[in-house]
Amino acid sequence: MRKIVFIPITLILLFCLVTACKKVIHIDLNTASPKIVIEGNIYDRAGPFAVKIFKSVNFDASNVYPPVSGAIVKISDTSGYSDVLTEKLPGLYVTSFIMGIPGETYTLTVNAEGQTYTASSTMPEPVDIGKVYFQNSFFGNTIYPGVNFVDPPNINNYYRLLYSVNNAPNSEINVTDDRLSEGKTITYLIRPADTDVKLKAGDNVTVWLESIDQGVYEYFRTAGREGGQSASPANPTSNISNGALGYFNACSLRARSAIVP
Amino acid sequence: MRKATKLIIFLFLISVLPLYSQQKLTISGQIKDAQTGEDLIGAVLSVKELPLKSIASNAYGFYSMTLPSGAYEITAQYTGYKPVVEKVILDKSLRINFKLSEQSKNLEEVVVYGRRKDENVTKTVMGFQRLNTKEIKNIPVLFGEKDLLKTIQLLPGIQAVGEGRSGFNVRGGAADQNLILLDEATVYNASHLMGFFSVFNSDAIKDISIFKGNEPSEYGGRLSSVLDIKMNDGNDKKFGVSGGIGLISSRVEIEGPIIKDRGSFIISARRTYADMFLALSKDTSLNQARLYFYDLNAKANYRIDEKNRIYLSGYFGKDVLGFGNTFGINWGNATTTLRWNHLFSNRLFSNTSLIFSNYDYKININSGVKMNIISRIQDYSLKQDFQYFGGANSTLKFGFNEVYHRIIPGAITAISNVSLKSLTNKYAMEHALYISHMYNLSDRLSVEYGVRLSLFNLLGPGTFNTYDSSGQVVDAVKFSSGQSVKSYFNPEPRLTLNYVLNQQNSLKAAYSRNVQNLHLLSNSTSGNPTDLWIPSSNNVKAETSDQVSTGFYHNFNENKYEFSAEVYYKNLQNQIDYKNGAELNFNDNVESQILTGIGRAYGLEMFLKKKYGRFNGWISYTLSRTERKFDAINQGNYFPARQDRTHDISVVGMYELSRRWSLSATWVYYTGNAVTFPSGKYNIDGKTMFYYKDRNANRMPSYHRLDLGATWLRKKTARFESSWTFSLYNAYGHDNPYMINFQDSKTDPSRTEAVQTTLFKFIPSFTYNFKF
Repeated sequence: MRKIVFIPITLILLFCLVTACKKVIHIDLNTASPKIVIEGNIYDRAGPFAVKIFKSVNFDASNVYPPVSGAIVKISDTSGYSDVLTEKLPGLYVTSFIMGIPGETYTLTVNAEGQTYTASSTMPEPVDIGKVYFQNSFFGNTIYPGVNFVDPPNINNYYRLLYSVNNAPNSEINVTDDRLSEGKTITYLIRPADTDVKLKAGDNVTVWLESIDQGVYEYFRTAGREGGQSASPANPTSNISNGALGYFNACSLRARSAIVP
Repeated sequence: MRKATKLIIFLFLISVLPLYSQQKLTISGQIKDAQTGEDLIGAVLSVKELPLKSIASNAYGFYSMTLPSGAYEITAQYTGYKPVVEKVILDKSLRINFKLSEQSKNLEEVVVYGRRKDENVTKTVMGFQRLNTKEIKNIPVLFGEKDLLKTIQLLPGIQAVGEGRSGFNVRGGAADQNLILLDEATVYNASHLMGFFSVFNSDAIKDISIFKGNEPSEYGGRLSSVLDIKMNDGNDKKFGVSGGIGLISSRVEIEGPIIKDRGSFIISARRTYADMFLALSKDTSLNQARLYFYDLNAKANYRIDEKNRIYLSGYFGKDVLGFGNTFGINWGNATTTLRWNHLFSNRLFSNTSLIFSNYDYKININSGVKMNIISRIQDYSLKQDFQYFGGANSTLKFGFNEVYHRIIPGAITAISNVSLKSLTNKYAMEHALYISHMYNLSDRLSVEYGVRLSLFNLLGPGTFNTYDSSGQVVDAVKFSSGQSVKSYFNPEPRLTLNYVLNQQNSLKAAYSRNVQNLHLLSNSTSGNPTDLWIPSSNNVKAETSDQVSTGFYHNFNENKYEFSAEVYYKNLQNQIDYKNGAELNFNDNVESQILTGIGRAYGLEMFLKKKYGRFNGWISYTLSRTERKFDAINQGNYFPARQDRTHDISVVGMYELSRRWSLSATWVYYTGNAVTFPSGKYNIDGKTMFYYKDRNANRMPSYHRLDLGATWLRKKTARFESSWTFSLYNAYGHDNPYMINFQDSKTDPSRTEAVQTTLFKFIPSFTYNFKF
C-alpha cells in the first residue's frame, strides 16, 4: 500500500530529475563510536544457521567491517533445546544441531565485549509462492518482477521478499503485511530503487518469500524507510536488546524461479 | 484570565462611551479605482485640518470617519494612484465615494503617495506585510510564472521550505501552521506540482496581506501566520480580456460589468501544457503520461443599493498525474464564498459570509489490483464580522465564526483483489467569538487589543482510542453521531502597542496567543499531496503559541525609504513529530505514531525598502533560531527544527530603464536546513546501512541564487497592450542541493559517497502578455 501511495511522488521526482543533475560531494559528517551489529537467521529446516557479529565504521572509512571475535553466542527454543554456536570465521558463528520448526520461538543470546544482547523471534507457518510474473513499468520500459501468494486467513502475516537475477542476489529491502489484504491473494511488484540493474528477456529470476514475525517486519519496514525523502531518518527498530544494530529472524522460506519472457 | 477580560471590557467602555455623548458627524463611502471600479483596500484618507487623524478603507473599500462639524480638505491616497482631494462642508453626515486614477507611467521621478505614506511608522500593527499584485509583477520567478507565494518568501521572517518544495515557514513555524485564506476560504494545499507553483494565479489576485503571528483577533486557527488573499472584483465599467502565453502555461482573464457601475464579474483561468508535448512523443511510456494542472478563479459582485452588496467568489484547481488507464492521481482545492455587506448605519459595517472549502485527492489504480481511494477535508463555515467606526480615534471589530469540518481520510471504492477498508471519517466543530479594538490613547500612543475565544469540538460517530506512549490502545470509547468526544477551549488574547516618537520613528510591541486544532501529518522533506490533516483529539492536543515581539520603525528621505527591525520570541506547546519509522499512510491508528513536544523560536528581522522612483526594491535579513524538544528524540534535549535557519537574506531590485524596458533582479542566500546525515555505516545482508546518531545534527550546504528579469512593453494604446517578459532563474548556475543521498560508490564498491541532486540551473523563460 505504501508503495502505491508513493508512486506519484516517485513520478514527479522522475519528471524533475530529467532536468536535474547529480554530483558526488564531500561532506564532513559526524563520527560515531563503533556499534555492534548482529545479524542472525533461522529457517524452517535443518541447520546449520549463521549469526554474524560485526562493528559499524565511520562513513568515510572503506566498507570493511571489523568482526567481533570471541563472543559467546547461544540460540535456544521453547522445547528446551539450546545450541552454543561455534566461531567458524572471525565474526561468523554457526549452529550445530538446532532445527527450524514453524511455531517455535527462538531466543538468541550474545555475550560480547562484556555486554549481553538478546532477541527472540517466532517462526510463522510457511506461505507458498503462487507465481512469479513480470510487468513493465509506467515509465522507462523497465521490467519489474512480481509474485502472488495467498495470505492465510484470520492471523496477522508479515512477509519479506528477496530475489536474485541469474544467481546474483539483490540486497534491497522489500517487506509487506496483510493489513490491507487479509486472507486474500497478495500481489507484490518489486520495484528496485537501483535502476541501473535492468531485467532483460532470458534472465533467470528467483524470488524468496520469507514469512516473518512482527518484530522482524518492523525492523525491515523501518530499515526500508531510510533515504532521501524522509524528514527524519533514523536507525531501524531492532528486535535485539541493549542497543545492538541488526536483527534476529526466525522465518519460513519458500522460493520460486521464472525466466523473463 | 478573568482579570484580563474585565480589563478589556473596561478599556472598551471608556473608549467607546464618550463617542455617544458627543455630537459628531460622519463621512463614509467607498474608495475605488476610477477606471475599473475595483475597491481599493487599505487606501488612506487624511484630513488636512487634523493632521493626526487618518483612516484606511477596509477589505471592501469602505471607510467611515467621524469628525466635529466644520469645513475640511480630505485627501484619498493609494500606492500607484494619483491622490484625490475633496473639500467638504460637514454640516450633516455625508456619503462620498472617492475614485482614484492610476498614476500614468512616467519617467519623471514623481512622488507617489503611499497608502498612508508613513504607514510603516504609524500603523498599530507588527509583523505585517502587504503586497499588491502590481508591485510584484516585474520580479523574476521560475518559468516566468509570477507567483505571490514565492514573492512573499523574499520578505523577512518568511522562508521558503526549499526549492521545488511546497510551503513556507514563518518565524520558525511548520508549513501547516500558516492559515491561507482566499476570499476568506481556507486553502489547505497551496501548491501545484509539488510546490513548483502556487495555486494562486496572480492575475486573479488583488491584494495579499501576511501577519506573522500577530494577527488581529478576527483571525485564528493557525499558530504561525495568516496569509489573507483577496481576489479581484472585476471591471464594472467595461469588458476586457487579458492573458499570457508562456513556456509552461497560458492564462486568460475576462472581466466586465454585470450592470454598469453596479456589479461586475471576473473569470481567470490557467493551464499548464507540458503533457501536450508528452503526447507527441513516440515513446509509449511518455505519450500516455498525464501531467498538468489548471486553475479557475471566478468572482461576481452586485450592489443592490447603497447599503447592501453581495459577492460570490470561487476557486477551483486541480493537478492531474497519471499513466494511461493503469494509474492516476489528481488533487486540488475548491472554495466558494458568498458574502453580504450591509451598512447598519454609516458607522456600523457588517459582513456575513458563507464559506465552503474542499481539498481532496483521488487515486485510481488499475494494474493487478483495482481500487479508487478518495481523501478529502471539507469546511462549511459561517462568519459574521462587524466593524464599528467610533471616530478617527477608535475602531471596534467584533463577530463570530462557526466552522464544521468533515475529514474523509481515505474512502475506498471500486475494489478488487485488495481488502482495503475505508478509514474512519472525522468530524469537528470550531466556534470562535472575537472582539478587537483599535484605539488612540494619545497622539503618540495607540493600542489594538482584543481577544478571541475559541472552542474546538471533536464529534462522533466512531470509536475513539487513547494511546499510551508506546502506541498501545489503553482506552476505546464509542460515540454516536454528533456527540462531543473531546473539546478544547482557549482564550487567545492579542495586544499591539505603537508609540510614535515623531513623524519618522516609532516603537511597537506586541503579544499574541494562537491556537491550532488541525494538524498536517507530513514526514517527508518535500511535502506530498497525500499528506493528511487530522483534528485535535484525545491524543493530539491543541497546539498553542505565545509570541512577544518588539520593533523599531523608521522612515526617511520623505518616506521614500522605510526601515524596520523587529525581534520576536515564541513559545510553542503541543508540537507534533513522529516516531521512528512512523506509518502515516492509510493507518486508522495514525495518532499512535505521533510524538508531542514543545518548541521555541526567536529571531531578528530587518527590512529596508525603497518604495518609489525608477529604482525601487528591498533588502531583507533574518537572523533566527528554531528548536523543538521531544522526550523521545535526542535524549529529550532541544534540537534544531528542520526549518531552523541562521541567516536568510533577500535582495530585490527593480529598475525602469526606459518607457518600454524595465529590469529586475533578486538574490537570495540562506543557511541550509537542519538535517540528519549518517554518522556511521554497517552491512546487513549485503546492503550498506547507515547509522544515525542525533536528529537534525547536520546542515544542508547554504543556498544562494540570482534571478534576472526584463519586461518589454511592446505596444500600449488605449485599446491594446502587449508585453514580453523574460527571466533567467539561477543566473550564475550555482549548484543548490535539492537533496543529498548517501550510497555505495558506483565507481569504487569498497566506499560510500554522498551524492547531491540539483534541480534548476540557468532556467530561461519568456511569456507574452496581452490586454484589450
